Amino acid sequence: MLQAIELTKQYVPGQPPSLDALNLTVQPGEIYCLLGQNGAGKTTTINLFLGFLPPTSGQALINGLNVAEYPQETKKFLAYLPETVMLYPNLTGLENLDFFAQLAGFRHTPDELHSLLSRAGLQTEAHGKRVGTYSKGMRQKVGIAIALAKQAKALLLDEPTSGLDPKASNEFSEILTGLAQSGTAILMATHDIFRAREVGTRIGIMRAGHLVESLSASDLTANELEAIYLQTV
Amino acid sequence: MALRIERLIARQVWATAFKNRAFFGVLMGIGFLLVYAAVTGWVSFRQQNAMGRQYQQQARQEWLNNPDKHPHRMAHYGHFAFRPKAPLSVFDFGMESFLGNTVFLEAHKQNSVNFSEAGFSTGLLRFGEISLSMVLQLLLPLLLFFVGFGTVASDRETGTLKLLLSQGVSWQQLLVGKSLGLIAVMLILYGPVMLATGLLWFGLLWFGLQGGAVNADQTLRLLLLLGSYFLYLSLFCVIAVLVSARCRTAKTALVSLIGLWLMLTLVLPRASQALGSYLYPAPSKAKFLADIQADVLKEGDSHNPNDPHYKELKDSLLTAYGVDSVQKLPFNYSGFVMAEGEKISAQLYNDHFQRLLAIYDQQNRFSKTLAFVNPYLAIRNLSMALSGTDFASYVDFQQQAEQYRYDMAQKLNELQIELISNQKPGPTDKPHQIGKNHWQEIPDFTYQSPGVASVFRHETISLLAFIFWSGLLWVVAWRLTKTLTAL
Repeated sequence: MLQAIELTKQYVPGQPPSLDALNLTVQPGEIYCLLGQNGAGKTTTINLFLGFLPPTSGQALINGLNVAEYPQETKKFLAYLPETVMLYPNLTGLENLDFFAQLAGFRHTPDELHSLLSRAGLQTEAHGKRVGTYSKGMRQKVGIAIALAKQAKALLLDEPTSGLDPKASNEFSEILTGLAQSGTAILMATHDIFRAREVGTRIGIMRAGHLVESLSASDLTANELEAIYLQTV
Repeated sequence: MALRIERLIARQVWATAFKNRAFFGVLMGIGFLLVYAAVTGWVSFRQQNAMGRQYQQQARQEWLNNPDKHPHRMAHYGHFAFRPKAPLSVFDFGMESFLGNTVFLEAHKQNSVNFSEAGFSTGLLRFGEISLSMVLQLLLPLLLFFVGFGTVASDRETGTLKLLLSQGVSWQQLLVGKSLGLIAVMLILYGPVMLATGLLWFGLLWFGLQGGAVNADQTLRLLLLLGSYFLYLSLFCVIAVLVSARCRTAKTALVSLIGLWLMLTLVLPRASQALGSYLYPAPSKAKFLADIQADVLKEGDSHNPNDPHYKELKDSLLTAYGVDSVQKLPFNYSGFVMAEGEKISAQLYNDHFQRLLAIYDQQNRFSKTLAFVNPYLAIRNLSMALSGTDFASYVDFQQQAEQYRYDMAQKLNELQIELISNQKPGPTDKPHQIGKNHWQEIPDFTYQSPGVASVFRHETISLLAFIFWSGLLWVVAWRLTKTLTAL
């Protein structure tokens, strides 16, 4: 579903590339967690899949389509959740969801919108409140509802759990697992080793633009993973 | 439906603007100014036109009531020409407050147009006139910049832009949608202004306050005015969105846009005016009049009996009629001399005046050409021209008044030539005079306002500048859709 082939991004010519010949595949139903320090190339990878950056060389494929060639078509299969979902503070959670869902071409009845927000874990009382009054976790849930509404085949997440309290983070993991079970391919950049071990099917560790380790999550405990991570970076 | 995404984005811009309390404050403020401008426009139009009409009638009455007189004394008694305000001057005062609206017409002399509002400067002008056009030209763009600076830049700053684009929205859709939203916000203020202007204009014409009627020419002017303001304000909406799209943060967008506004509305117009008069210097009024006087004296002094030009004229007349003194000519000789003198001085005045106008024209053309750099200049000039309050309309009045003055003086000279005896009256005789019934042979002055075609002639540059700006923004926007990134 998501595939990177020799994907390379060099921001400044002459400088070492920020992403160097990345090869990566995420199958439907898989959750691939990218670990690595800031500047390791995680966000660059996600931006390349989103088509926000042109690759220097190599390809980012979504559902077999090259993102650089088909920037609009590939977005149909994608949902994206940034680190902080800001949305429009003057609109309610429901209005925000409706707006973004309609942008993606989906018209939902108010009932459907409410049920999407509830599935994303947002308490019913909050649906009609202005997003400006929401906590980060609540905004994140609206972000998830937007992704759910799009029925995307691939989900790109950029440090979605940073700043969430443990309960919200746990709820978030459950939703991700549910989505993966229904066949979504998920690529998530994160700093949370414990969470990555918990939800991930596979875990990649990046350093200076290289994918240095690619491990199966089920073979490891969180402690082992942390030890490997610390050795690697 | 067509433009579904664009309309969705536009509605979001609209909703965001109206959920902002500060925006309501500014909206109320500008709304109040607009009402104030409309009321003062209406009141001053009615007052000035009523006054003009009253004095025009009074002057005419007094002219007709003159007793039997020598026609040349009547020529010096003179007459007044009042300039009626154009109906659309309720919308744009233009230069009217600074240029006069009344001219005293007499023989031998081309008096300048006097009695401007500025000359009599009372409260209102010192406070600074506020016309509907000024609010639309200056304040509305500023408001649009305030509402529009964040349209794209805020989304970029908060990361919402990435979310928008990841939903499959293209840059083209985004820019068009945001611009449409801003244009909708603009229409909230501009719509009522259009309506109010239309009603004021219609009211003034319909109730005959102007003395005119709703005609094709005036209707075309109104429609062009409304259309060009819509285009002007839409350009500013697009500029706001494009600058916002180019800037990293909302703050830089705001600072850039305010800088741009100051540049376009304050710095450039003043600079263009100053530069124009520096490049094409016009003579001072004193020098202008002295130059004409010098040329008139060169041609000959009609009041000096030994002047060579008039001596030659006298000799040729005496030869042609075979008489030995002017008293024996079959017509009034001094009337003939006066007619000749009037012809020469009017000719010279017109020559000098045309040269002066040519200089003004160069100055104006310079500042008009800068409309290609500054859309504000384009709308300012076009709006004044369409409202009939620009310099060209003023010159037109001046020329019509001068034509009337010349015709009046020559008619009186003619009466003198025909009806006044050539013999000097003796010390005990009654002075020469003609009956007062002749005074009505000279028609009253009525100003014919030039048609809308003259606007196209004078403001071709401004119209072209609008087309240029629309094209430019289109090209810039098109290029930006290729180069802008979400990051």
